[in-house]
Amino acid sequence: MIEAPRQSAWRRLQDAWLGTVLVLLYLPIVSVLLASLSNTRYMQFPHRVWTTSAYSDALADYTTAGLHLTSFKIALVVTLASVVIATAGALAFARYEWRGRRWYQRLLLLPIFFPQPVLGLALLLALNAAGLTPDWRTSAFTHLVWITPIVTLVISIRLYGYDVQQEEAAYDLGASRMQVFREITLPVLAPGIVSGAMFAFLLSWSNLPLSIYTTGADTTLPEWLFSRTATNYSPLVPAVAVIATALSALAVLLVWLAWSGLRRLLR
Amino acid sequence: MKIGRRAGPLAAAPAMLLLATGFLVPVLIVFAFSLLPPRTFGWTGELTLSNYSTAFTDGYWRNLAWSCMLAALTTVLCLLLAWPAAKALHRLAGHRATAVTLAIALPIFISESVRLFGMALFLMPGGGILAGTLDAVFGISVGTILNTRIAALLGLVYIHFPFVLFPTLLGFSLLPNDQVEAARDLGASGWQVFREIELPLAAPGALTGALFCFVLSLGAYAEMSILGGQAVTVITRAIEQRFNYAQDWPLGAGLTMLVIALTAIVVFPFLRRVDIDRLIHR
Repeated sequence: MIEAPRQSAWRRLQDAWLGTVLVLLYLPIVSVLLASLSNTRYMQFPHRVWTTSAYSDALADYTTAGLHLTSFKIALVVTLASVVIATAGALAFARYEWRGRRWYQRLLLLPIFFPQPVLGLALLLALNAAGLTPDWRTSAFTHLVWITPIVTLVISIRLYGYDVQQEEAAYDLGASRMQVFREITLPVLAPGIVSGAMFAFLLSWSNLPLSIYTTGADTTLPEWLFSRTATNYSPLVPAVAVIATALSALAVLLVWLAWSGLRRLLR
Repeated sequence: MKIGRRAGPLAAAPAMLLLATGFLVPVLIVFAFSLLPPRTFGWTGELTLSNYSTAFTDGYWRNLAWSCMLAALTTVLCLLLAWPAAKALHRLAGHRATAVTLAIALPIFISESVRLFGMALFLMPGGGILAGTLDAVFGISVGTILNTRIAALLGLVYIHFPFVLFPTLLGFSLLPNDQVEAARDLGASGWQVFREIELPLAAPGALTGALFCFVLSLGAYAEMSILGGQAVTVITRAIEQRFNYAQDWPLGAGLTMLVIALTAIVVFPFLRRVDIDRLIHR
């Protein structure tokens, strides 16, 4: 009991620490937001004039629309393909008992524990050896190599808490393999598949190190932002960064709303 | 009943095919390229180890050493930051814990280039967010750490912190709160609680995070060029220069193989020992 006051002071210190960490995490993001609200060619904070003109410039600019489209095409392909491959992959990862499963689990973790720029470079060399010209499609393939294992893990987590006996009971009652998958396994997996899809979209949309090496003549948003931060800065750059981030948040919000609406409808 | 003796390989096949063509084959191609004579582009030429000897005699070990040192420093700093944060997060419960966890996770999904750019804007000298505010409000003018090794290190810590925090948190979630309380009631000191209870239980999670952080930092690239400027040439930057400016693909491939080998040395012992089912199952 004598310890109590010291302990609570200690706890308050920990909470303060957590708060500090949170502030530090958002400081750069807020900085981008602040920088976008100016109209001067050079960064001179605090701005003399606060304006949203950079946003109207960004929206009127044809190039930035093209960047969004390229990033969107890649993210869409990656999301659809990775979810299909990873759903099957998760069953093999966490549900089925088969020889070679442990090897498969480890192989699947390798691309996650691998430096991304090195992976991008390796794929660039491989594309070159195969005689393929890099463009947004090769970039989507590269994203897929890194993102599919992550989505597989996300979906697998659902399977670990799963009661196998439901499936067995259905088999005993004469259900076919397809029926069991559609009626029992898929509904259990569904929340994992939805969050896996969100992960895939967001990770692909925001990826820089893989895209740098594998998009060829096409340019994604993070690539453009990366090159423009080094040279040719204007408030247009932070404005595009804010728009791109807001769009990805909007996409995820829409998917989430559609998903929860669908669930309420089915119930 | 064991299900999926035959369905298992079938379900795993698409993912295996993807990783074979998109991961294993490219790594083998890099290896093959690294054995070609310097400055060749085709697939002809005597196999040679000269790229590897050049990698060591031409001072590239210095770039590799910088990469390793920065990665190690990043890992240590991230662990020091993440441990108390994970502890505080573990103690929070219910909606507040979910909200804080979500708030920490969200920035992961904002592009690296946006976040690092924001950091550069914050640190910029003169009219940067920090320098400008200090000047306008307090009349203090400060210098900048932008384009130094310190800035690069801060960028690395910033980007990789969540990758250490979440596995550490996973470790802490194995830790029963009442056990800590009981130890405290029995008169254990803070240091004893840390050494006897927290460390052994939360260490596997923290170690996974540390490994993750080290490997990802080793290959870091954007942090260095956006925040570090010309202050330090890490190995990934040296590799990129071989490919783009020097047009020496075989040497670039040789250096890439060194990074891959280093990654393998760190990751394989971990993968051999870890039981994935248990790690996720909890």
